[in-house]
Amino acid sequence: MARSKMTSREKSEFIWGWAFILPTMAGLIILNIFPIFSTIYQSFFKTGDFGKGNIFVGFNNYAKVFADTEVWQALWNTIKYAIVEVPISIAISLVLAVFLNGKIKGKGTFRTIFFLPMVAAPAAIAMVWRWLYNSEFGLLNHILPGKTNWISNPNIAIYSIAVIGIWSIIGYNMVLFLAGLQEVPKDFYEAASIDGASGVQQFFNITVPLISPTIFFVLVTRVIAAMQVFDVIYMVIDNNNPALKKTQSLVCLFYKYSFTQSNKGYGSTVVVVLLMVILLLTVLQMIGQKKWVHYN
Amino acid sequence: MKAKKLAALLMSSVMAMSLAACGGSGSTGGAEPATAESTETTEAAADTAESTEEAPTEMKGSVEGELTVTIWDENQRPGLQQIIDEWSAESGVKATIQVVGWDDYWTLLEAGASGGEMPDVFWMHSNQAQKYMENDMLMDLTDKISGSDKIDMANYYQGIVDLYQLNGKQYAVPKDIDTIALWYNKTIFDEMGVAYPDDTWTWDDFSEAAAKLTNDDHWGYAIAPSNNQDSFYNAVYSMGGEIISDDKKASGYDKPGTIKAIQLFVDMVQAGSCPDLNTISESGADVLFESGKVAMVTQGSWMVAAFKDNEYTAENCDVAVLPKDAETGKRVSIYNGLGWAASANTKNPDAAWSLIEWLGSKEMQEKQAELGVTMSAYEGCSDLWVNCTDKFDLNGHMKMLEADLVFRPYSKYTTVWEDMQTEKLKEAWTGEKSVEDVCKEICDSMNQTLSEE
Repeated sequence: MARSKMTSREKSEFIWGWAFILPTMAGLIILNIFPIFSTIYQSFFKTGDFGKGNIFVGFNNYAKVFADTEVWQALWNTIKYAIVEVPISIAISLVLAVFLNGKIKGKGTFRTIFFLPMVAAPAAIAMVWRWLYNSEFGLLNHILPGKTNWISNPNIAIYSIAVIGIWSIIGYNMVLFLAGLQEVPKDFYEAASIDGASGVQQFFNITVPLISPTIFFVLVTRVIAAMQVFDVIYMVIDNNNPALKKTQSLVCLFYKYSFTQSNKGYGSTVVVVLLMVILLLTVLQMIGQKKWVHYN
Repeated sequence: MKAKKLAALLMSSVMAMSLAACGGSGSTGGAEPATAESTETTEAAADTAESTEEAPTEMKGSVEGELTVTIWDENQRPGLQQIIDEWSAESGVKATIQVVGWDDYWTLLEAGASGGEMPDVFWMHSNQAQKYMENDMLMDLTDKISGSDKIDMANYYQGIVDLYQLNGKQYAVPKDIDTIALWYNKTIFDEMGVAYPDDTWTWDDFSEAAAKLTNDDHWGYAIAPSNNQDSFYNAVYSMGGEIISDDKKASGYDKPGTIKAIQLFVDMVQAGSCPDLNTISESGADVLFESGKVAMVTQGSWMVAAFKDNEYTAENCDVAVLPKDAETGKRVSIYNGLGWAASANTKNPDAAWSLIEWLGSKEMQEKQAELGVTMSAYEGCSDLWVNCTDKFDLNGHMKMLEADLVFRPYSKYTTVWEDMQTEKLKEAWTGEKSVEDVCKEICDSMNQTLSEE
């Protein structure tokens, strides 16, 4: 009985607290949480047209997904993309952030320039890069000797795509790192300089450990985002591209099944598998962080 | 379809400059690819101008007392608006055209259909028609047609009529027809001393000419392997093969004619008179043609608008009929046609039918051709279309109407086996596997898909 006794202050905090988070909650539930469960639910069905006539098939879709070499190849493509995109983009943007945090002329201009790709629509970026890579008319082949099929050679296409990903995300990561760098006390560097530490030593022994929470945050969010790569691949790789099989990501497959072929049940299954993979990766990172992330 | 890509590129640069407008949001990315990529066989190859507008995020639903007409090809909008305005003047009902690019069109129409919010009048296409008809999403026009003195299904090309029919009911009135023809670059032909293609050409003459027209600067012919309607399908049927049986139960990939036709193109790729798949997938056949890199392409009549607006092609190119097969003597054009359909739950059923009747009538079908919108589905109404541009001799396309017209192969899940076919044929184009092996694999997989329909 004592539990239900709330002071009027507690009561009003309770009501207002809920009132403030309600809009966000509603948005999350309607736009994110409900669709997640509805997708999981659909993955157990052979879906009919226009959402009518769904037939329950149990784990059939999952059995099919696990036996589907195309799905495994797509998972491997996605992982390859993430392995290239995430570490390289983090390394480059961290170094850039350190430089742009120092005393450089035109700091603001540089920051803006590096952040610009983030503001452009991903589809627009992909189209421009597509023409840069074009083997007949592209700028890259114009400058470089030889004729490379950047986006249609199955062995290199996924890396060409990853380069686009790196280029577009550097600015965003950089801003996060810049924010992290503001937290690092200046006197650490002063003390290190007096002790004779070089810039590189300072970077690895002071900067990196002190902003490791930011690095961890960027790492986790970037891995999640990289696993969901879609628009760049969809825009750059044509249906008749010989590299399609070696570049399409899981989300591309999801799109193909759900929207091109209207097989929403199977598409949902593919995307649920992706969800599981991302969950697993994130859990592993959460466990791994204890080894290298320093909170104060 | 590269015209779209060019358009998308243009738009992209505009977007990149007006960076802030797009805010880098995921949703823009999701809506925009429509402009860039559509390997589907669509009437509307060159729906360039949707890009000049914001990508729509929803289709307008039906509103009482006013008609919403939704199409996917911006090139056709001005002409169609003119025809529809005349109808409005007569009926007193306002009707507006909304253009939604090809890819978004189907996503949004399906969303609208699931939610009961479809436009009043809209285009139907062979890829999707069966699904919509089976689920009663389209207004049944059968009784209205039999009660009409303007519309008689016997007047239209049969394949298009059949396409929009299910269990004896008619769900759409045919709008247009397309034909495939051989576009060629006169300048390259003159330079290499080869006579222009004419109606005596066989597929053998064609591939010999392609070899002669090839040098370090350009290829003889470029195939668009993902767009089957304007590439190898024509040769397949011309050589006596088929893609799908008439009852849509079996694949035709085991027919010798089918294999022979695909072999013809694979040989050209191997011989170097046709660019390899890498090149084609990066810059499609029409882009190569528009930049003088290939001497010949086979393209549909929907490309006329794009070729006439392109300075290079307008200056240097012309069009002739497709080659015939030496053995069978058949000259085949794979054709397709859109239909005007109405929503089953429109709030203006009478007005919607009245508009469809108007659009399908002989006069307006003639007008559609005269305005250069497209050739018309009403037989004998397309003659004036030839004059819609003086840049090319469009008789190349017109005469294909008199050739063997074969309706574009389709079944309920066309996209499923078409995707598979595109994917598997890659191994043939690149020479990894023999054409026979690839065709056998396609045949098996396609039969499997068809058995599940």
